[in-house]
Amino acid sequence: MKFGASTFIWASPFSNKTLELIDRAKAFGFDIIEICVEDPSTIDTAAIKPRLEQAGIASTVCGAFGPDRDLSSDDEAIRENGIAYVQRCADIAADLGADIVVGPMYSAVGRTRMAEPAERDAQRRLAAASIRRAADYAAERGVRLGIEPLNRFETDLVNTVDQALVLLDEIGRANVGLLLDTFHMNIEEKDIPAALRRAKGRIFEFHACSSDRGTPGEDHLPWAEIVRALKETDYRDAVVIEAFTPEIKEIARAVSIWRPLAESQNALARNGLDFLKRAFA
Amino acid sequence: MFKYSYDALVYYGEDISTSIDRVARYGYDAIELVGEPDAFDGSAIKRMVGDAGIGVSSICSIFTGAERDFTNKSAANRQKALDYTNRVADFAAASGAPIIIVAPSPVGKMAPESDPDQEWAWAVEGIQKAADYAASQNVRLCIEAWNRYETHFLNRIPQCIELMNDVGRPNVGVMGDTFHMNIDDPDIAGAVRNAGAAMIHIHFADSNRAAPGQGHTDFRPVMQALKEVGYEGHITFELLPAGSDPFATLRRGGGREFYDEYTRQAIAVIKQIEATL
Repeated sequence: MKFGASTFIWASPFSNKTLELIDRAKAFGFDIIEICVEDPSTIDTAAIKPRLEQAGIASTVCGAFGPDRDLSSDDEAIRENGIAYVQRCADIAADLGADIVVGPMYSAVGRTRMAEPAERDAQRRLAAASIRRAADYAAERGVRLGIEPLNRFETDLVNTVDQALVLLDEIGRANVGLLLDTFHMNIEEKDIPAALRRAKGRIFEFHACSSDRGTPGEDHLPWAEIVRALKETDYRDAVVIEAFTPEIKEIARAVSIWRPLAESQNALARNGLDFLKRAFA
Repeated sequence: MFKYSYDALVYYGEDISTSIDRVARYGYDAIELVGEPDAFDGSAIKRMVGDAGIGVSSICSIFTGAERDFTNKSAANRQKALDYTNRVADFAAASGAPIIIVAPSPVGKMAPESDPDQEWAWAVEGIQKAADYAASQNVRLCIEAWNRYETHFLNRIPQCIELMNDVGRPNVGVMGDTFHMNIDDPDIAGAVRNAGAAMIHIHFADSNRAAPGQGHTDFRPVMQALKEVGYEGHITFELLPAGSDPFATLRRGGGREFYDEYTRQAIAVIKQIEATL
């Protein structure tokens, strides 16, 4: 297993001012740094790539989906903007030598209007058509897409693995799979290990987060069963810690974090990695 | 032996006599009422639950909007929050409920509008006044935390205990809700144990807010902790459909399983666990 750290643990948005996080993640013992692209204009791949090589650490790319990048919006211009954004993320991934772009790319985070079932089906079809185009663009660059179900308070479209599998089938592209995040699964899945088993072969990335988005392991998740289930699916890709710094108000508010969830963000990353390395040993 | 109650909140729009009959039929000791004093006749409900052979465990107060906000920047709104809570206390006394739920900041208020220390001080002051009035009606208050997506103010049991201590009134305690705690309290049973006698009320719901057995919360250690701390209140099931606004589902006739099916299942699953403690 390879272990990763999201730049959201420390920063928002990622830019040349926070390149030091690449060295920090490596020094802490991570194999991968997940570069979060809130604003593509702050992502300078010409500066990031050599820094990654120098540090000897790999990367993945994570997208951020606000209302102006909604790939299932009723407004075609907004959908096009969303598709262009995912394509830009795929370019960034290709430039960095990363093979995956992840995120909840089927809708805007916070769009929870409780659509009627028929409305929801129509929205999912729009999402599938948009993601298919982004996926074909990404495939030409050797990049995969990992689609992330979110909990009920962040979206009403795809909350569970089963709903995400329906969307994947509708997209029908081999380079599109799932990003599964234990923080969201804790709220929505009836049985987390069983859900992982149902997603066998479709999991492209895994976010190992604690139930409160603090330090993985310092929580009530059934980690031994989760690790066993993930191994049974023959999963061999990245196990990434995603957490958010409470020190930057905009991102803290966007993900509803109102208090520090660890003694420090460094402690969260260090102790979380120690725990995960033991759990996956 | 624990006592059991079911929150009528999910029986959205239903006649209260139907709700009382259902809860009694499935073996509950009590019902939790929705805290809308203008919509109900407390003394009539007291007779109805008596006839059904049950009681009223508690009132689920509804803290929504600026006029039910103890931390509101407007003194007039803070007074309205107090007036509302006092009317809920009257409703509790009339219907025979010993406890009402209090939340200092309304659902959906996601940022302080004043200095956070000032909001805290207003919350303390408002709950003190509400507690003193409730005491005159022999009613207790329990402070509730909600998960991070519903409030910025109180998300975890230790925060409720801190507020309770600052309020410093003997008829004020805290409550837990296992749906919210699944998100924001990393050790649910531990939080119950640490709260000890301060926890005077608790809501049970599975991790996905459906009936126990529908999600992955392990209720056994939670019940063991309740037993160890000598919990004397009701285990009250507050179940709601999945969604950022569960009432949107109920308004259009969804969530039918929360009526008979989950009312039956919730108590059956938990009593089975209780038998093994």
